[in-house]
Amino acid sequence: MTINPPLDTSGTLNTASAARDAVGEAAEEVHTAYSLADAKPPLDEEILKVENLTVEFPTDDGAVQAVRGVSYTLHAREVLGIVGESGSGKSVSSMAVMGLLPKSARIRGSVLYRGEDLLRMRPGQQRALRGEKIAMIFQDPMTSLNPVHTVGDQLAEAVLAHHLVPRREALARAKEMLDLVGIPQPDKRLRAYPHEFSGGMRQRVMIAMAIINNPDVIIADEPTTALDVTVQAQILEKLLEVKDAVNAAILMITHDLGVIAGMAHKTLVMYAGKPVEIGHTDQVFYEPRMPYTAGLLGSIPSLEGDAQGRLRPITGTPPSLISLPSGCPFQPRCPLATDVCRQTEPPLGDIGDGHWAACHHSEKLAEVEDPTAFFHPDAQTAPSEGTGTDSEEGR
Amino acid sequence: MLVFIARRLFVSLWVFLAATAVMFILAANANDPLEEARQLPDNEREAALATITERMNLDKPVLIRYLLWLGSAITGDLGVNRQGQDVNAMLGTAFPATLQLLAAATVLAIVFGIAIGVISALRQYSAFDQSVTFVAFVCFSLPLFWVGTLLKQYIAVDINDWLRDPTLSLVMVVALSLLAGAVCSGVLVVDRRTRWTVFGVTAGAMAVLLLVLSATGWFADPGLGPVVVALTAFAGAVAITTLVSGLDFTSAPMRAALVSAGVGVVCYFAFGPVLNDPNLLTLLLLALLTAAVCAGIGWFFGGELFRRQAIPAAVLTGLFTAAVIFVDRVLQAFAGYAAHSRIRGRVISTIGPSTPNFEGTFWQHSLDSAGHLLLPTLALVLVSLASYTRYTRASMLEVMNQDYVRTARAKGLTERAVITRHALRNGMIPITTLTAYDIGTLIGGAVITERVFGWKAMGTLLQDGIEQGDPMPIMAFFLVAGGAIVIFNMVADIAYAFLDPRIRLS
Amino acid sequence: MRKKSAQPAGTPPTPGSADDAAQGMNVASRTQFQLVRARFFRHRGALVGMALFGFILTLAATSIGWGPIPGWWDKSPTATGVVLEGGRPTLGVWPTFLGGGGVSWGEHPFGQDDIGRDYFAVVMRGTQVSLTVAFLVGTVATVIGTVIGACAGYFRGWAEAVLMRVTDVMITIPTLVIAAVVAAMAGRQGIVVLGIMLGLVTWTQTARLVRGEVLSLREKEFVEAARSVGTSAKRIIFRHLVPNVVGIIIVSVTLAIAAAVLLETGLSFLGIGVQPPDTSLGRLITDYQTAMMTRAWLFYWPGLFIIGIALSVNFIGDGLRDAFDPRQNRVRD
Repeated sequence: MTINPPLDTSGTLNTASAARDAVGEAAEEVHTAYSLADAKPPLDEEILKVENLTVEFPTDDGAVQAVRGVSYTLHAREVLGIVGESGSGKSVSSMAVMGLLPKSARIRGSVLYRGEDLLRMRPGQQRALRGEKIAMIFQDPMTSLNPVHTVGDQLAEAVLAHHLVPRREALARAKEMLDLVGIPQPDKRLRAYPHEFSGGMRQRVMIAMAIINNPDVIIADEPTTALDVTVQAQILEKLLEVKDAVNAAILMITHDLGVIAGMAHKTLVMYAGKPVEIGHTDQVFYEPRMPYTAGLLGSIPSLEGDAQGRLRPITGTPPSLISLPSGCPFQPRCPLATDVCRQTEPPLGDIGDGHWAACHHSEKLAEVEDPTAFFHPDAQTAPSEGTGTDSEEGR
Repeated sequence: MLVFIARRLFVSLWVFLAATAVMFILAANANDPLEEARQLPDNEREAALATITERMNLDKPVLIRYLLWLGSAITGDLGVNRQGQDVNAMLGTAFPATLQLLAAATVLAIVFGIAIGVISALRQYSAFDQSVTFVAFVCFSLPLFWVGTLLKQYIAVDINDWLRDPTLSLVMVVALSLLAGAVCSGVLVVDRRTRWTVFGVTAGAMAVLLLVLSATGWFADPGLGPVVVALTAFAGAVAITTLVSGLDFTSAPMRAALVSAGVGVVCYFAFGPVLNDPNLLTLLLLALLTAAVCAGIGWFFGGELFRRQAIPAAVLTGLFTAAVIFVDRVLQAFAGYAAHSRIRGRVISTIGPSTPNFEGTFWQHSLDSAGHLLLPTLALVLVSLASYTRYTRASMLEVMNQDYVRTARAKGLTERAVITRHALRNGMIPITTLTAYDIGTLIGGAVITERVFGWKAMGTLLQDGIEQGDPMPIMAFFLVAGGAIVIFNMVADIAYAFLDPRIRLS
Repeated sequence: MRKKSAQPAGTPPTPGSADDAAQGMNVASRTQFQLVRARFFRHRGALVGMALFGFILTLAATSIGWGPIPGWWDKSPTATGVVLEGGRPTLGVWPTFLGGGGVSWGEHPFGQDDIGRDYFAVVMRGTQVSLTVAFLVGTVATVIGTVIGACAGYFRGWAEAVLMRVTDVMITIPTLVIAAVVAAMAGRQGIVVLGIMLGLVTWTQTARLVRGEVLSLREKEFVEAARSVGTSAKRIIFRHLVPNVVGIIIVSVTLAIAAAVLLETGLSFLGIGVQPPDTSLGRLITDYQTAMMTRAWLFYWPGLFIIGIALSVNFIGDGLRDAFDPRQNRVRD
């Protein structure tokens, strides 16, 4: 336990109670919607700057290149969504930011927190930031809490790991946080064990744990994937609320574009360990310039109904991270793939207005009205020089 | 919780009752009790057959004999064996010796097995882990009595011979030093460069220590003396506090532990006369007093912020210091013990649980028991240790991969806190079940070990009973052995529920 | 990190539906069996164990002959003879260039016992008996344990209660004790009866293991599916559950065999079990433990063979366990 100067408890308590006032009404009624539009706008201050991050895992079959060069900047109070399929490296890159990867991982690049490189810190310094300045919420709330300790103990522990305060005060803080995330009877629930909570309630506890030290960055790794759809929305709203309560930025990792849509200021799409498109969420959603993004959008069912009333899933499977295909890693599944795609991997190119995409044919996507149409089963009719059968090769 | 225990107790009783029936019927059929009598000369045969048949109720069906046994066993009467001796009396002399052996072996196997398993898991794939795994497999595969015989023939003889002129040869010094260095560096350090430093320093220190001890004739008349006791106590304080709350010499738990060690050293002198020839009760009371005083020290020094760490650190340090003083006293009694007329330098005994007709102080009796228990316990522990090590290692590895351990790290806890507070607690839950299972194996092992080392104890009851087809001694053995297993199973279940709130609260 | 994300019902088939495909992305071309085999052959201990066990088995089976297998060793385990050179072993293992006497078998590689029997032949006979008993015990115990464990795990209500209570009763009796009593009854009827009888009382560990596994499998979707289409309990147990616990069963067989070798030696030491004139490794050690200070080889050879068998089988079992259930040794990735 490092002994920090005592926590300015009065300050903390003020922040928290002020925060509670700010969201006062919202906390009372569970179903009050709290959308991105209500949230405090991002500031210019750069909190987290990831530059050219690569992660490799040595395995018996060769090195797995889980992350192959990720760069992004997270500003204060900003929400950045990272989208991708399993194995796209989105989780691994965030675990690298937290310093939670196994020792066998080979990490290169830099992760600057307020200008200091986390990857070059001593383990002790890195630990002091973890949970204090950068906190994380995990995917599966059912297994992320220790079954043998009370929720109160586990929350208080997060405070005590960073601040020299009596346990009593840490527990008081924990209670306050449970109240903030909307858990009824926080006094009683402090003494309960995780198995006495439902999945949604456990995820609220995880959120409480993440914000208990007023972090600058909250990394949420698929926080709603394991929850019921009805609970998902509540949890997302709660996340936005508490983000403003503690003035944190959020790194929102998900495979679900629907989650990002109402949540994130900016969106980063990852494929095979690399960012393939990044921009404001509106840009990525309405003017995708990378066929993969378009494909993801096409596979969201919409209530308004699509012209053909059918989904347009991307065929094939993501590539093996041990032996990537030549050229663009998406080319075996891409309806637009041409020879150049099979030869060279496209760099992330500036499209303007802070929008970047990694595709040789991004201008083609700009020309058509509905880029998702490329993935339509009758895609042969779409403007394409590639043979439509390419998409079958991934099978 | 109480309902849980009561229900568990009820079920256990019925299971145990059924087990006695199975055991009795099997035991009654193991051998023919009349075989020896049939070979007697004609004139004695009839009378002998009749006596035995009458004594063992052989004219009645097995089930009736079982019920008869059960009826008297409930009142505490275990009957007579084939020769007409009182089984209760036989059990009375056999039980204490076996209990000593089993208790020592169980405690040592659990403590060392779990400790080695945890370290092995935390240093997965290290040289230490690999060697522990290999040694555990060898131990798994050892026939117990083969090891016992080897220990008896070589270790006992060699140590006793060596004790006549206890100086260490250079080869021994080098070998022991290298071993100490390897163990220390394997356990403590992960980083390659520091590992060699630790190895060198430990091996060097060990070599110097052994050479000095050997040259001063320490092994013939050992003892720690006040300086060594004090140094060990303070080193123990630092080590214990490091485990409990981290290495920081300015922290409150460290202060509490160091003060406890200091108080312990003062008591070393203050209690000198009391400790000259105490009895077990005095020692237990002193241990309780130590724990109470140290808890107070921890409470006082811990203050509001650190009480939770300071009290255990202080109490553990106090008990550790007491143990060091105990060891010092036992060692000081060594020279007198070895010179005793009934011992004559043969300190490591290979026969029986104690030297017959031995008179001496409490410390000398302790040494006598230790000398008799050393090899049988070692043999039993070797065999039992392996399963604890493997099981603990597997359990810890499983737990270390759990999501909640990742959560604990994400909170920014130190690695020490992650392991002690989150991994260990969960990793120990399945071990409780193993202890219950292992006690059965240990009882079986004790039967064999007792025979190797010529103890007349519980194992003899079983063996004689089987040879003579006599269920009475077998059932006496089983009442104790099966009872121990039932009790261990219950304790394990309760411990399981205590450790795992999901069971406790459901 | 690439954990399978549980898709809540009703979630749209967003890219997450590619999850399952992604799980198999590196292994798509390998079957379950190939994976197990590959993992097994990466386990060094298991390979060494296999080699050692194969060597011992071959030696025991072919040297003095075993049933229909003819032997290449010219001496019989029963023929007595003149004790040469105090019966010392003539096996040489130090090559001459290392200053030894050269590698050679000699007349009596393992020496001779006190009545001049060739000790190599005797030890081989003991190995045959010990292995037979151990295999019988392992097989019988596993079959019974599997059936009882699978039924206790699958059925609810009285069947489970009865089977579990029976198991509890058996567990209450220490293995060595019940084995000793049973062996005293069966010892005189030959090694086959002995092996089967010992198997009848040592199945509890397997039953517990199998039950635990079946309990968790029972809740799995494919069992639900089978049940919902009206598949009979017998069919579900033997068609759906047992194949899925086959890994545990195979591991449990190996461990049971290793334990049985040690159990048999322990019983022999107590004078119960294999009875003269037949012999076993345990019997040999027991017979010659007093000879230890004078003719130590009579004590060492059978001991080394017991350790060799138990160790190699244990290592094979460990390799199989890792191969079937790599969870235990996985580092988080």
